[in-house]
Amino acid sequence: MTGRLLEASDITVRFGGLVAVNAVDFRVDKGEIVGLIGPNGAGKTTFFNVVSGFCRPHAGSVSFRGVDIVGLKPHLISRMGLTRTFQIVKPFPDMSVLENVMIGAFSVHPAAKDARLAAMKALELVEFADWAHRRAGELPVAGRKRLEVAKVMACEPDLILLDEVMAGLTPAEHNEMIETVRAIRASGVTVIIIEHVMPVIMSLCDRIYVLHHGELICEGPPGKVARDPGVVRAYLGEEFAL
Amino acid sequence: MRLIAAALFLVFLLLLPAFAYSDIVARVMPRGLSGASLLNVFLLIFLFGYLAQCWNILGGFAGQLSLGHAAFFGIGAYTSTLLFTIFGLSPWIGMILGMSLAGLFGLFVGFVSFHYRLVGPFFTLATIAFAELVRLSALHLKFTGGSMGVLIPLQGDSVWQFQFSGKAPYYYISLFMLVAVTALIWRIARSRLGYYLHAIRQDEDAAEAIGVNTRKYKLIAATLSAALTGAGGTFYAQYTQYIVPDDILTVGLSVEIILRAIIGGSGTVLGPVVGSFLLTPIAEATRVLFSGAGSGAAVVQLFASDATLAKKLSGYFSFLVGGGGGGGALMLYGLILIFTCLVMPSGAVPWFERRARR
Repeated sequence: MTGRLLEASDITVRFGGLVAVNAVDFRVDKGEIVGLIGPNGAGKTTFFNVVSGFCRPHAGSVSFRGVDIVGLKPHLISRMGLTRTFQIVKPFPDMSVLENVMIGAFSVHPAAKDARLAAMKALELVEFADWAHRRAGELPVAGRKRLEVAKVMACEPDLILLDEVMAGLTPAEHNEMIETVRAIRASGVTVIIIEHVMPVIMSLCDRIYVLHHGELICEGPPGKVARDPGVVRAYLGEEFAL
Repeated sequence: MRLIAAALFLVFLLLLPAFAYSDIVARVMPRGLSGASLLNVFLLIFLFGYLAQCWNILGGFAGQLSLGHAAFFGIGAYTSTLLFTIFGLSPWIGMILGMSLAGLFGLFVGFVSFHYRLVGPFFTLATIAFAELVRLSALHLKFTGGSMGVLIPLQGDSVWQFQFSGKAPYYYISLFMLVAVTALIWRIARSRLGYYLHAIRQDEDAAEAIGVNTRKYKLIAATLSAALTGAGGTFYAQYTQYIVPDDILTVGLSVEIILRAIIGGSGTVLGPVVGSFLLTPIAEATRVLFSGAGSGAAVVQLFASDATLAKKLSGYFSFLVGGGGGGGALMLYGLILIFTCLVMPSGAVPWFERRARR
């Protein structure tokens, strides 16, 4: 089944005098993997904060599956099927990996026994089941990123927002994570991904949005975005413009 | 193994009142202490263990450090006591009403604090402020008896009036309360509520992002914790038959409750119980031995049979405690607390668990 899943229009967020996100339009259809890229400070994470309910926009609307979600608490948005990861990973350090993931699974399975089973399934999906009984606080970076994805997947979402899940990983680990994201899409979940690692973005995404200084400067399939003069200028500077 | 040990210990506690007054105990006990004071110490262990366990729900599991639990305790005590003295209502019913009132007040404190996003030390300050509000109200209102407090008129042995002439019934009631609240927390720790509270304690944003209604679960913890603490207040009022604001509504009492939870290991199922078994006897011993003039002599008499040596040592003691006031008790108590915090910063239960794993 295809159709519009997320529609954000005219989103504007200001921090004092700084316009972090300026009149951004953004849409995602069911089954897509959509990239959101841009130089540091472009407003990508702020945009995620708006969509996931952590930050209220000064203007604009966000509708998820046709329902207006601006002003809803993050936990409600998550329970509707839209869940995010954090760029600066947020494990519950004193819990085991499995218990971390159970917190997400409890959204769907109130009984601890069922939540434990569902959490194990989410860990298997991101190929992290071997680590289930390790303490989350002692995981290496790659593990923390995987845990972040598993927690989100345990909520059994329709749309996930991945905020730089590749950052700090080695190229070998990139490939594993790409496979994981593909597996997630294959399981019927739509993905929006913020990423700085270009090969990852180019090989994964169906469409890409490019933000620069809070403004949307380009949108389209990877081939088009990579050749766009505005995008090259934003990343490399004026003298490299095609 | 662990279960058998726990069961044996429980049997020992259940049988204790039966032989507390026997000759053997009288011979083993230090001079000046009777079987009744032995029961009293255990009863206080149970009561403080119970209160620390109630605090544990909000302060330990949910990580919201309340320093105002004396208010919930006092509300429980005053509600049942005033309903008894004014309307003659059974304290058992008063206990339930006191729990409801304390729970509502907990909900109110939580709602206001969380609504204005008071986190960490600011939440703690707010709980102190609310507790002081309750203390000052009890101190200055007419119907609460002001600074004189309320005396519960004696009615003789009566289960319905929650009055007993001996210590044993109170002993069993407090033991039951401790076991029941610990069983409840054991259940909570294994349920969604327990997992959610632990998640909230560690990272509220992360919990919220994956579907946890953090505000709601913090309010549940605050209400439950306050209501159960209120029941402890009713019990204390019935045991001592006399309540005064400066005894039961002070920040000092809140601190005593928290110390047991933290020393034992807050956020664990058994921590507050262990903490109370460790701290309450020490607190009682230092208080009894150092209280009043000539306190030093009392200590020395326990250990020294030689009269001249005793005199000499008691001189040292009175020098240390400045004439034999209560200061010595607090000094010794404080030293023990500092030492425990240095050795076991996360509490006794996590400390022992780490040892056992090695």
